[in-house]
Amino acid sequence: MDCLGGAILACVSLQIDHVTKRYGATLALDGLTFEVPRGEVFGFLGANGAGKTTTMRICLGIVRADAGEIHWAGTPVADLPRRTWGYLPEERGLYPRMGVLDQLVYFASLYGAAPAVARHEALAWLDRFQIPEYAEKRAEELSKGNQQKVQFIAAILHRPEVLLMDEPFTGLDPINLVILREAFTELRDQGRTLIFSTHQMEAAEALCESVAIIDRGRLVAGGRLRDLKRASGRRWIRIALEGAQPAPDWLGEIAGVERVGRDAVGAELELLAGAEPAAILNVVLARGGSISHFEVIDPSLEALFIELVGRPADGDGAWSANASPTPGPARDAA
Amino acid sequence: MASRDPLLPNAGIIARREYRDRVRGPLYMASTVVLMGLALLVALAPIGIRYFDRGTVTRIAIVSSDGGLAQRAVAVADTVLNGPPSGVDPATWQKPYHLEVTTTAGAEAAFTKGELAGVMAVERLPTGQVDVTLRTYEGPNSPRSQILAVAAFGIGVLDWSSRLPAGTDAPLFVTPAFHVDSINTATDGGRPLDPQETASRGFLGVVFVVLLFMSVIIYGMWVATGVAAEKSSRVMELMISAASPRQMLAGKVVGIGAAGLTQYLAIALPALVVLAFQDRIAEAILGPGWSQGTPIVGLTPMLLAGYGVFFLLGFGLFALIYAAMGSFVSRPDDLQTLSLPLSLVAIVGYLTAIVALSGGGGTWIRVASFVPPFSPFVMLARIMITAVQPWELAVSVGLLVAAVAVVSVVATRMYAAGVLLYGQRPGVRAFVAAARRAG
Repeated sequence: MDCLGGAILACVSLQIDHVTKRYGATLALDGLTFEVPRGEVFGFLGANGAGKTTTMRICLGIVRADAGEIHWAGTPVADLPRRTWGYLPEERGLYPRMGVLDQLVYFASLYGAAPAVARHEALAWLDRFQIPEYAEKRAEELSKGNQQKVQFIAAILHRPEVLLMDEPFTGLDPINLVILREAFTELRDQGRTLIFSTHQMEAAEALCESVAIIDRGRLVAGGRLRDLKRASGRRWIRIALEGAQPAPDWLGEIAGVERVGRDAVGAELELLAGAEPAAILNVVLARGGSISHFEVIDPSLEALFIELVGRPADGDGAWSANASPTPGPARDAA
Repeated sequence: MASRDPLLPNAGIIARREYRDRVRGPLYMASTVVLMGLALLVALAPIGIRYFDRGTVTRIAIVSSDGGLAQRAVAVADTVLNGPPSGVDPATWQKPYHLEVTTTAGAEAAFTKGELAGVMAVERLPTGQVDVTLRTYEGPNSPRSQILAVAAFGIGVLDWSSRLPAGTDAPLFVTPAFHVDSINTATDGGRPLDPQETASRGFLGVVFVVLLFMSVIIYGMWVATGVAAEKSSRVMELMISAASPRQMLAGKVVGIGAAGLTQYLAIALPALVVLAFQDRIAEAILGPGWSQGTPIVGLTPMLLAGYGVFFLLGFGLFALIYAAMGSFVSRPDDLQTLSLPLSLVAIVGYLTAIVALSGGGGTWIRVASFVPPFSPFVMLARIMITAVQPWELAVSVGLLVAAVAVVSVVATRMYAAGVLLYGQRPGVRAFVAAARRAG
């Protein structure tokens, strides 16, 4: 479904509308507003304390909002059955002395799934996650990574429409990271909506079509990732010239180039807002450069985040905007 | 979402998991077996005491202004009370009663000191009727009173036959009169209670109150620990999205309460069976002639029902509060401090009930029997030893039901707020503030 082709209302499924939540003197959410398209992988990005977990808990009905509304497909979340949601909390935990398969069936049963069906599907997922031999073992016998995979299965076994995940990639090794990402893609292809928060911008960049960036309970930016990058006005060009290592100094003198970074094979040019890559290309050709590589690169999500929020997602509040964040550009997948 | 979630089936699913988790644990099984063994030992203790006490002789004095009549009374009573049971060799049989003829003043003094189990005053009235008055600490329906009533008839017959003249004009036989002058004040609805029944009900009252207290403290702490363990293992985070706080709270209390009840029944039932059949067990182990009546006389279905009602409501009331407290700590270790005030409340109820059972009383006992959370203990004690008016029982149970309803609402709110609190020191202020926020 193309949500950009004039059918946005049909695609928008989760609507967070001016939600405010206060814990004593602390304002956790301050009129937070954004929308999540149905059937997408959505990144919910923010530093610690930005309000991500509170937003998820309000969606789930665990915490009540002081003001504002949340709708899923036009229905207030308070009117939705619990099984609409799957939840992978940031705080991981299982019943230590209970068998893995037993507790997967247990959680699915609480969501209304038939135990026999849940058992069958749990075994299939355990097999898929390469841990079928742990089905009858106690949870306390599993490594943290494997426990995390079991928790993920617990969150999806009842086939929720929306899957909310709080930092799902934390603590996973690279192999399990790939397995989990593949599972995300598969669930998305089944039409489910996946919303996750993360500090790992690379993961969000690789998986998300859309994101919401929040800070101190307020939306900083939200929408299609590609559009956000383009809207930032910041771009890079990666260029390599035949027989010119290191890259020549005059690259930095081209109009529209703000900064030049050099490496062994070429250079990365950071463009000023509004500068056109085609104009840069023409200038290089006019200077007689023999180009072996030319690539337009959008800013990375991490760079975008830092630009918008003023500090990295995994940094603490003491990070200064004047300090060098050294954000690397990301190749535009488009 | 939470407010609309029906209690079932999730509360049932949670209760089943909690129940299985508890009863399958090795600690549960071991403690059940050990406690069952201890309860059986306690139940068998009276037989052991009876065995070691078998040399004890019970004294009964016979008083009469007629020496011959007194001797006849001794002869009959000796036959009736000291006859060896069938199957026992008379040569080896030790008489359990010593019957002695004494003066009225001497008998009264010994009876007052407790040296005599009874004084039997035997007189012949001018009409020729033999009049027997048994002065005893027992009631008229006690086994010994019943046996001595038979003896009185025998005394009358013996006395009548001893006075038969040689001629044919035999005096008319008049059935002897038998009275019991019972020295006890315990009554049940105006009916004098037999001392054995009084002692039995007092004993059972203590047993019931102790069992209720232990259940509240031990199984209540199980509930609190179960909640705290879910928080410390962080599985609570998964649970709160799958079930509402109301479902979780109800499931925990019911599941863990059922596990406690199972252990409780496993301990109590064999012991009760041993108590109920103690005479037969005594006869089987010690031989014939050792039965002295079951020690749990007076345990009526109504008393058992009353115990069941106060047990369930009392446990429910305390378990709900324990669950709410459990939700406010991050580790089970922190529970000891937080649960102390509640344990003290239970101790006050328990001690008040014990005072009531020991015959103490007064306004405080009466008031406490209506006021939750003391009423499960105190009213239970009252119904075991005295006659309680139906309206009193109705008011006490009604107030307890209302308290359980109110506490379940408040505890659910506290639970909902508490399960999301991590790393905070538990305190009454945090407890109340979080409950208000949850609303």
